[in-house]
Amino acid sequence: MEALSPFELEVARLLVETLHLEDVQPEDIGPERPLFGEGLGLDSIDALELALAISKTYGFQLRSEDKDNRRIFASLRALSQHITQQRTR
Amino acid sequence: MSQDWARLPERGNPLVLRLILWIALRIGRPVGRALLYPITLYFLATAPAARHGSWLFLGRVLGREPGWRELFRHIHCFAATILDRVYFLTGRLRPFDIEIFGDRWVVEQAASGQGCVLLGSHLGSFEVLRAIGVTLRHFPIKILMNTGHNRDITGFLNALNPDLAQAILPIGGPDTLLRVQENVAQGYMVGVLGDRVTVGERTVRVRFFGRETAFPAGPLLLAALADCPVILFFGLYRGGHRYEIHFERLAERIALDRRRRQEQLAVWVQRYADRLEHYARLAPYNWFNFYDYWEEDA
Repeated sequence: MEALSPFELEVARLLVETLHLEDVQPEDIGPERPLFGEGLGLDSIDALELALAISKTYGFQLRSEDKDNRRIFASLRALSQHITQQRTR
Repeated sequence: MSQDWARLPERGNPLVLRLILWIALRIGRPVGRALLYPITLYFLATAPAARHGSWLFLGRVLGREPGWRELFRHIHCFAATILDRVYFLTGRLRPFDIEIFGDRWVVEQAASGQGCVLLGSHLGSFEVLRAIGVTLRHFPIKILMNTGHNRDITGFLNALNPDLAQAILPIGGPDTLLRVQENVAQGYMVGVLGDRVTVGERTVRVRFFGRETAFPAGPLLLAALADCPVILFFGLYRGGHRYEIHFERLAERIALDRRRRQEQLAVWVQRYADRLEHYARLAPYNWFNFYDYWEEDA
């Protein structure tokens, strides 16, 4: 499996911790694997919790109006890239 | 199964719906109401699954096997609210006698400028709330709705009534609840229905009419995450031109401890189920979940 970059691993840890994914190890999340539906199987509630946690940790809001949300939420890699671009802390 | 019945009212082709609309709006409610009798008979004869759902529910409420007359009354009540939906959604409220109970909960909430979750159900008419709350009173209300099937009456009428169309939050995509949370944070009261489980949705087991069944966990989990109050609403059809809207506050806020989240949430969902049961006993023919609600046949 493809290794995670250090930042992807950090986001993966946030994800596992926030959503209490008990059977998932952060380093085992495939960076290109879908987060929602098939793949990690997250749902709309997870997305909300994740968005709230990201805003607390990285100091910016994920907005529902963002037309790129499907892409941003598509995988750990996409999400990590978005955070890298938007973070204020 | 529940998925299929989510669209029960919109069964039939768009032409028939247009015809009903035309009769309702151009000819009038008395003629429309006269037509409810053959329509009800038609449903009773051609929708065995809905009939069975009605039979199961009424059996549970009445404590005995319901008769044909009661099944007819149940479907007729449903059809009557579908007809009236046409008037509500086009803002024609004058012929109706609508009594509101617990008004202060929404009035105070609106005055506070803070958002909340307005939690309803498929008991009675959801549209009477939309008509009063959005069109008449101009409360800051948004309704979380599935807009995927635009050919139905609601989609059609939404197009006629831009006020109502603007007040819809469409369901779909992982950011649906994020959108709801943002609207709550902006001070909107967001209406959601909490009694019908969709495929793949998170659920909580509660007791309802003395028997355990699954209720959606989402609406109250959402309220907990958005850290906002929850106000219940029930729009009951009471026959003739009479409706009642009941508001109650379920929670000022829902605090969940991460470790005990599921059990704490179950307590809140049980409270909702208890109030739903209360109103369902008050107006049993308003129960519009025409399927095997307790999964008794499974």
